[in-house]
Amino acid sequence: MKQRTISTTPFALQITAKVAKWALLILYLIIALLPILWLIMSSFKSEFEIISSPLAFPTSLNFVNFINAIRISGLHRFFINSFIVTAFATTLNLFFCSLAAFAVAREEWRFKSSFLIFATAMVLIPIIAFMVPYYSLITTIGLYNTIWALVAVYTAINIPISMFIITNFMTAIPHELEDSALIDGCSFWQRFSKILVPLTVPGLVTAGTFTFIGCWNEFVYAMLLTSSQEVRTVQYAVRFFNSEFRDDYGGMFAAIVLTMIPTIVIYIFMHDKIVSGVTAGAVKE
Amino acid sequence: MKQKKRKQKNLIWIIIFILPVLILLTTFFVYPLISLVVTSLTEWDGISPMKFVGLRNYSDLFSNPIFRLSIKNNLIWAASAAFLQVPLALLIALVLRRKPAGWKFFRSAFFLPNIISLVALAMLWRAIYNPYYGILNGLLNVLGMEHLARHWLGELNTVLPSLIVSYQIYVGYFVIILFAGSLSISDTLYEASVIDGANVLQQELYITLPAMRGFIISSETLAVAFALRQFETTFLMTAGGPANATSVMALFMQKRLAAFQNGMAAATGVLLVILGIFVMKGLQTLFGMRSDAVEDAQQ
Repeated sequence: MKQRTISTTPFALQITAKVAKWALLILYLIIALLPILWLIMSSFKSEFEIISSPLAFPTSLNFVNFINAIRISGLHRFFINSFIVTAFATTLNLFFCSLAAFAVAREEWRFKSSFLIFATAMVLIPIIAFMVPYYSLITTIGLYNTIWALVAVYTAINIPISMFIITNFMTAIPHELEDSALIDGCSFWQRFSKILVPLTVPGLVTAGTFTFIGCWNEFVYAMLLTSSQEVRTVQYAVRFFNSEFRDDYGGMFAAIVLTMIPTIVIYIFMHDKIVSGVTAGAVKE
Repeated sequence: MKQKKRKQKNLIWIIIFILPVLILLTTFFVYPLISLVVTSLTEWDGISPMKFVGLRNYSDLFSNPIFRLSIKNNLIWAASAAFLQVPLALLIALVLRRKPAGWKFFRSAFFLPNIISLVALAMLWRAIYNPYYGILNGLLNVLGMEHLARHWLGELNTVLPSLIVSYQIYVGYFVIILFAGSLSISDTLYEASVIDGANVLQQELYITLPAMRGFIISSETLAVAFALRQFETTFLMTAGGPANATSVMALFMQKRLAAFQNGMAAATGVLLVILGIFVMKGLQTLFGMRSDAVEDAQQ
């Protein structure tokens, strides 16, 4: 059953390997999780507890920090903005990418492989280098300081990864189903909407999860392309918690915890999709 | 005849289907790339007309000590990704490959930081390094090593290492890739090696690593690409300080843009893209990769 554990390794080496193995796993578990646990712990503590005993568990669960966080920073407004931007960008991205992926995966045409390479290779371009052109482009088309600027940018910058994932899924679907649909007189659009899309739902969910997390967490262009409180998103707000909560670390920690909830919930439910998406993305690079 | 007509009709549909993606890619990737190059040859504050200045922005950049320091820091970041982050991920992946108790939990836990925003984690790490209430100094005090406690982000010799250490929280991304890669190796190879009397170390060195070559190269490429465009960690934790010691190119660019030196900022952007291409080419040479070698390795 487990052939790999059978080996001719000497006993002493086996013991050393075992100790080293668990030491590595536990050490890295601490690096990966302890900061986040500490953050959550601190968000329930009083100001005095945070300063005087930073490592201790909170003595009682109080939600004062969370109430303060929402009251002081007006966090709910930033949440609404983030949700609108993320929902629109994810929906548009998935819709456009599934259209294009359908054309690439299910039809024969002249430049289709060049088109796919063009679309997916863009993942290697550092979007961060586009600060200047994006800023002038968004200003020119009059979207500066609107949530639509962020919707447009987020829809576009997530195309390479979405195209890659959705095209892979659509290519894998057997042709027989479509052939019979063609005989039944299905139109091009119906083949897409009635046959391919329902069969590609797992791929759409994978791509959608990535786009959602990417949009929710995006910071640089949220900062660059907006300037007023009314259109700012949560990531931008988090940055200012430091100054707004000058004497209220608990409030700051609570606010950060609140902004993490959507992606953590997504991670809990979509865990397998995320793992398969990361893996698929790397294999073809 | 009918067949041909249907084909033509399909072509119209195909064009309609790819048009949105094509327009978005042109607007947000192709045009910015061209515009970046053009702007980098001008002096422009973003409002008044552009003034063509040739390569002056580039010569100004290279004579700027902060810019040169930024390039050096970018290379340090890239090196930390290639020689620290990916090897660490590989080590963890090789341990997980043996499916120790709770390996699924470990895999999920290790990846978790990747879904949390860079901003939240940067604020969090700032708090960890905080000299007054931070967990790091707190931990050192508890362990009786008060003399090691310091202002981690305020001192020149600890600030860049502190940033790079905080960035290792993202190792999980590459653990997932390398772990998946290691599972694709056929068991028969190991069975044969056991008959030949190979031990664990020999198995890893002579079977696992060569078989995972393609995945290792993918991870190295991605890790270096991510580290080179890294901006948030530096911007939010130190803003390039103290005394510009942690400045990186993306941050230098953002500061030029904020100072309405769009031409200079664009030139920095161009150099960032070029540096990325160079470093990745360098990595490919280092790993002796031909483009088909990756595919061979992944078969």
